[in-house]
Amino acid sequence: MGRKFLSATACGSALLLALTACGSSSESEDVALTGSGTGAECTIDAEVPIAATFGLTGAAAQYGQGQKNALGLAVKNLNKAGGVTYDLTVEDSQTDPQQAIQLFEGFINDGASIIVGPTLSNTAKQTDPVAQENQTPVMGVSNTASGITEIGDYIFRVSLTEEAVIPQTVEAAKESLGLEKVVVMYSNDDAFTESGYQAFVAALEENNVEIVETLTFSKSDTDFRALLDQVKGTDADAIVVSGLIEAAVPLVTQARDIGIDLPIIGGNGFNSPALIESAGKAAEGVIVGAAWNSASDNPQNTKFLEDYTAAYDGQPDQFAAQAYAGMQVIDHAVRAGCSGEREDIKKNLGNIEDVPTVLGEVTLNENRDAEHEALVQVVENGKFTILD
Amino acid sequence: MMFEYSALVTLIALTAILAYSFYAVLLAGQLSLAQIGLASLAAFTSALVVPAEPLFGFIPPLVIGIVFGMSVGMIAAFILGLPVIRLRGVFLAIATLAFAEMVRIFLINQTWTNGAQGMSFPKLVGPVSAWLVLILVAYWFWRLAGSRLGRAFDAIREDELAAGSMGINVARYRMASFVIAGAISGLYGVLLAYFSRFADPNGFSFVAAVDGLVTAVVGGVTLFIGPILGSVFLSVLPELQRTLGIDAGWIRPMISGVLLLVVILFLPGGLSSLIPRRKSALKLETDPALMPALAPLPERGTEIVRLQGLGKHYGGVHAVREVDLHLEAGEILGLIGPNGAGKTTLVNMVTGLIPPSSGTGTVLGNTLTVRTRAHRLAKSGVARTFQQIKLFNRLSALENVLVGGYRIGKDTLLRRLIFLPSARRHERELLAMASTQLARVGLADKAATSAGDLSYGDQRRLEIARALAAHPTLLVLDEPAAGMNHVEAAGLSELIRSLAGDGITVLVIEHNVRMMLQTCDRIIVLNFGEVIASGEPADVARNPQVLEAYLGSDADDDAPHGEQGTGRHAATTAEPEEQR
Repeated sequence: MGRKFLSATACGSALLLALTACGSSSESEDVALTGSGTGAECTIDAEVPIAATFGLTGAAAQYGQGQKNALGLAVKNLNKAGGVTYDLTVEDSQTDPQQAIQLFEGFINDGASIIVGPTLSNTAKQTDPVAQENQTPVMGVSNTASGITEIGDYIFRVSLTEEAVIPQTVEAAKESLGLEKVVVMYSNDDAFTESGYQAFVAALEENNVEIVETLTFSKSDTDFRALLDQVKGTDADAIVVSGLIEAAVPLVTQARDIGIDLPIIGGNGFNSPALIESAGKAAEGVIVGAAWNSASDNPQNTKFLEDYTAAYDGQPDQFAAQAYAGMQVIDHAVRAGCSGEREDIKKNLGNIEDVPTVLGEVTLNENRDAEHEALVQVVENGKFTILD
Repeated sequence: MMFEYSALVTLIALTAILAYSFYAVLLAGQLSLAQIGLASLAAFTSALVVPAEPLFGFIPPLVIGIVFGMSVGMIAAFILGLPVIRLRGVFLAIATLAFAEMVRIFLINQTWTNGAQGMSFPKLVGPVSAWLVLILVAYWFWRLAGSRLGRAFDAIREDELAAGSMGINVARYRMASFVIAGAISGLYGVLLAYFSRFADPNGFSFVAAVDGLVTAVVGGVTLFIGPILGSVFLSVLPELQRTLGIDAGWIRPMISGVLLLVVILFLPGGLSSLIPRRKSALKLETDPALMPALAPLPERGTEIVRLQGLGKHYGGVHAVREVDLHLEAGEILGLIGPNGAGKTTLVNMVTGLIPPSSGTGTVLGNTLTVRTRAHRLAKSGVARTFQQIKLFNRLSALENVLVGGYRIGKDTLLRRLIFLPSARRHERELLAMASTQLARVGLADKAATSAGDLSYGDQRRLEIARALAAHPTLLVLDEPAAGMNHVEAAGLSELIRSLAGDGITVLVIEHNVRMMLQTCDRIIVLNFGEVIASGEPADVARNPQVLEAYLGSDADDDAPHGEQGTGRHAATTAEPEEQR
């Protein structure tokens, strides 16, 4: 028995050693990541390593791929500007927090100047503390839940929180529709939609809109007829829904099928081209708050759309636009101090104010959260248009 | 250097601990998927009790979390076990999976868990503490392997019916493995939450359960080190692919999947089967001084079995009807009769495998009722062999016999954990007992051979050795000579006589009538479930009803002729027609 145990532990440790040896050899030497000049004139000789992890496979794959594409596009465009070159590494977290933790650790060991990602908020709550402990800045580009930037002063994000978008949506909808009573529906087994629900409740209270009924469903549900029948029995002026796109399409379609023509107000999860593609006519009149609108006439955005469609198949979504903007903000911070050192990037990300990006002019506030104008859109004639 | 990879190193340990929770049930042949739900329950409830500061100034919060988490896991596993433990195979898997899903939905809808948005935990677990805990768990399983509890799990995994007939309370041991798995699941849940600083109920999903199961299976369930090997393999795989520069995307999961398939296909015993096992790890103990002190058998003439009007019917079919039978200590009673006469049904009733439908029966002071359990009778001193051999095929011959010693053994696990010499002494006594029985049936030189690899006759003898290791008062042999040639059958007859000489009471079913006439003190003949003759062998052999039952015609021959006739007939009926 003793020998068996010994040989097994020996095997195990040999494997581990081999692994750590492989890993540490690729660690970057201390080359100066500082350069001369500032802003557009800044020149850094060494490449600035940028690491990113997104869920390219698994549950978040539908968002992760767009994020990866847009980030790659941003780095390519920024490298063309000259002076500073970025070396981008994108890894797949498989939408598994445990994988993501290991990736973060690897990025930190390999000397990444800043880490972009991960895709999901609940993953970020597990990975970001690792970066914070190792004093490596993190740029969240799709984390919208509360409590992310509270992890520490190295954690930043360009993605607007639900708390930032939803009040604007509710306010605009109230103004436009004269809301007094609403039914709220949300999936209570998802972090994103649940925090969206909480933001809706707060915003509705703020605007003195009465919630006559609250209905919950599961993120895997596809049949909402029974719930919608309950809505029919109320005297609500509108239905407020916090759900992912997978729920949005059948919910909207079935509501119209059973004859509910109340306006539907959706959270961030509804902001997807898939809503219009899959729900078709049923999606008409749906009001969605968003951090980004593809129709926005901001010149940065127009160029982004052109570049993206030229480089990849298909249209970018909000996740892609936010990833692109995240890289623009990072570039701004690097050039501001003309340094790719972690400490300098962290310091200069603290001074981001009104930086023009594909999302509009972005400011990072004292809580390291993004501030920029949110958009309230309505589906009209098969298109997301800005709600007047 | 290790510090840089602390997350990977820690996660290997945590995944291995999760795999151990599956190992614990697989060890006893059960498939449960509840572990992940138990882990979730333990993780979230521990957040309610774990203090920020050390308790009494010296008990670290993590220790409190671990103890609490393991207790929650055990209690929840026990409560869940009460209704589901009697389920087998895929039914148990589905029931436990449903439990895990229930826990997930319950926790999502609680306000104190913060629902789907999850809960933050302080970071209390690092690589050192995780590996320390893992080593303790692995150590426990290592010491479990040779203990009575470990052997009972092995026996249940290999054959529940046989395990029960050795005196092992199958339901209780299945529950034990379930509760052990619960404790380890709770441990895993707490460690994971306090390592990753965050937990949400959705993280403890079906996928996580499958990951744990796959890790356990890839590592292998035959050796205690299996879960660690599985975890190292599966955790290092993605890291290795990254190091090799294989692009992210669909290729990596593909490669991982293919490698997993290769392991499952070519190493059915898991990675741990790559570790050369020393077949001689268990050696025969031939020192007669080491034989344990055994309780004396009842005095000759003491009543062992009394059946009165015992019957068994299935619907309208009367398998056994109105059988009266008594058996005294040291007697050899033969039970013969044509196929389908109800012999095996009768001994199954005597050994508690099936309850009688009518009549009364007492076996070693136990009344035969619907509530009689085989393991209870085995505990009182009934040991048996089976018509269709029921050995623990993947265990060695010696290990089979050691399981047989369950009845006279004591549990040594706690003493084994701290290497107390008394545990070692007790185990050597049992080993001496087992070795003696193995030598007695002539299998001493095949001690290390897997039971499944033995020849048919040897398997029959091994079953007898296993039954003898329990130091039985009543030994029930169901067709022990089937598949044996004349020389072997003669040897068997001699063995049975010598057992009776030692004071063991023997009830034997056999088709080899010549052997029965030579061996038994008394013979009972059954036909169509009824006793048609009983008495001394010579009288039975002359009984015309018996001859008719066997030959199907009037026999007017003399006894010696009849004996020859039945002998010849026996040669044909000894074929294993009932062996299916």
